[in-house]
Amino acid sequence: MPTGEGNLLREAIRTTLGQRAGRLPDANATAEATAAAWRLVAVQLAPVIGARGLDVLFSRALHRTSTLFPWLAFAVDRGGSANPLPSLMVCLAGQHTATAAEASYTLLLTFTELLATLIGESLTTRLLAPVWAGPVPSEQESAS
Amino acid sequence: MSDKVTIRRLPTGVPGLDAVLGGGLPEFSFNLIVGPPGSGKTTLAHQIMFTLATKERPALFFTVLGEPPLKMLRYQQQFSFFDPAKITESIRFVNLSDNVSSGNFDEVLAHITKEVEAFAPGLVFVDSFRSVMLEAGHQPTGTLGLQQFIQQLGIHLSGWQATSFMVGEYSADTDPHPVFTVADGLLLLDQSVHRNSMVRQMQVLKMRGQATRPGMQTFRISSAGIEVFPTALVRDDNSATIEPAGSRRTKTRVAMGVPGLDEMLGGGLPSGYSMLVAGPSGSGKTILATAFLAEGVRRGEAGVIVAFEQTPSQSRTRTIDDMVRAGQIGLINTRSLDLSIDEIVHHLVGLIHKMKATRVVIDSLSGFELAVAPTFREDFRESLFRMVAVLSGLGVTVLMTSELEDRYTDLRFSPYGSAFLTDAIIVERYIEIDSCFKRVLAVVKVRGSAHSNELRQFEITDEGIIIGDPVEDYEGLLSGRATQALAAETVD
Repeated sequence: MPTGEGNLLREAIRTTLGQRAGRLPDANATAEATAAAWRLVAVQLAPVIGARGLDVLFSRALHRTSTLFPWLAFAVDRGGSANPLPSLMVCLAGQHTATAAEASYTLLLTFTELLATLIGESLTTRLLAPVWAGPVPSEQESAS
Repeated sequence: MSDKVTIRRLPTGVPGLDAVLGGGLPEFSFNLIVGPPGSGKTTLAHQIMFTLATKERPALFFTVLGEPPLKMLRYQQQFSFFDPAKITESIRFVNLSDNVSSGNFDEVLAHITKEVEAFAPGLVFVDSFRSVMLEAGHQPTGTLGLQQFIQQLGIHLSGWQATSFMVGEYSADTDPHPVFTVADGLLLLDQSVHRNSMVRQMQVLKMRGQATRPGMQTFRISSAGIEVFPTALVRDDNSATIEPAGSRRTKTRVAMGVPGLDEMLGGGLPSGYSMLVAGPSGSGKTILATAFLAEGVRRGEAGVIVAFEQTPSQSRTRTIDDMVRAGQIGLINTRSLDLSIDEIVHHLVGLIHKMKATRVVIDSLSGFELAVAPTFREDFRESLFRMVAVLSGLGVTVLMTSELEDRYTDLRFSPYGSAFLTDAIIVERYIEIDSCFKRVLAVVKVRGSAHSNELRQFEITDEGIIIGDPVEDYEGLLSGRATQALAAETVD
């Protein structure tokens, strides 16, 4: 992604997670914030790309994030569940707050970038705009 | 009665398609777009959708199984019509795969209905309904049957004040389905591969209440999307609305640009006529055609040349290159081997209008036949007839060249029997006199006009064609066994 837009996206993801986790978040709150943001992503994308398409992308993003945060391996394996979200939350809740927050941020960023490589930045930005709190990279900004 | 319903026709945004449909898509019609995989169904649906969708007339695009939506969005973005700014605002994609895979059509219908009611679309697309049908075997008993589902969906789509489309891999010939009866419009897309060429064609099998263009229409898919090349309409001279070609033919004559040739033609080629110049390789057909265009340019008449053989930069045709560069004539130069005649005619007519051209050269019919995809070669003669008729309708004067194998056993002017299509014919031949190859030409035909019947020698010089004297002292030249007529008399 171009630097300006990429920075805006990073900022938007951090702000979203920060707002959802509260003022003095612990790892549990971070896990909850991640799950809430993810549910919003799913609400926006599942109707467009289908639940299966969403699942495949999420698994891929989780796999890539786990190379930086190996303790996410449990979530990658899904803890025997079809839904990776509960196992992801268990993983995040078991970490230090800062580590959990960084992993959560990296996961959402990886997912968004992965989606952008497939359907383009413009469409990704447009589809996920309702998910992010704070400044969101818009069509006008990316054009300027 | 003035209170009859007026059906608005929506322009599809697909170049050429509105003409084929008979004026666009009827608003609130229920249409099927069918064809084998890769035939361009989704592209057609998207192009129509991105053209027509607005905030006031939003579009809902339901994706079923088949093509994964991610792939569809990825690849469709490569087309220039794909405008991401319209998505979510005036276009909404809805994936139905979860409903469909359960096999419960009540659910599918309920989901579609819910979305339609919520979004109030003016356009609805379901891609693809073949996938819906494939899942029919898995449906739970006691629920909506497949036929009923399709039927109900069709009825719903008609009642929602939406112009709707169902896209599917479905062959109308081998696999007729009752939904074809329900549909107001049926577009069949196809692609045929013949050796190294691939040709895309579409056919409007049905479009209620409209006079559609019959037969297969060729189309291409480029980065701009689909472009249809409607079959050239041969206009009927009896039609009151069409100005017959004959009326545009004036009694004026067109100068050929070769000294002496106008006299042989009885004063030049009648304006609006089509002429065939037939002769063996190297006999000077292209040079004659070039002189014809150059003479036009000299008189301030623009021309157009469709060149299939020599490239304009080749030495003999340098004049063509110069005229093209100067913007005095238009050039269609193609060596593509998968053309349809309709596509060439489409470009040609466009260029004639653009250049306001009055002279047209097609050099040559032999190259043209090679450039046409094998699929169309069977119909080459018919297509040629259509092309000549269309050009004639435009009132332009046409010169076509045709490679003619030198034969001394029969006298032919064209391998396609195209001689009868043209109003005038000039034939060029090689003859042997005194152990030398000489070129001769003759005017074989000028419809409705007196003309020379002499066989005249000619030379090709740097200045062009120089027509010499009639070949008077010989006979049997065209048989290949020329004898000196005068010498025979002397002996006697």
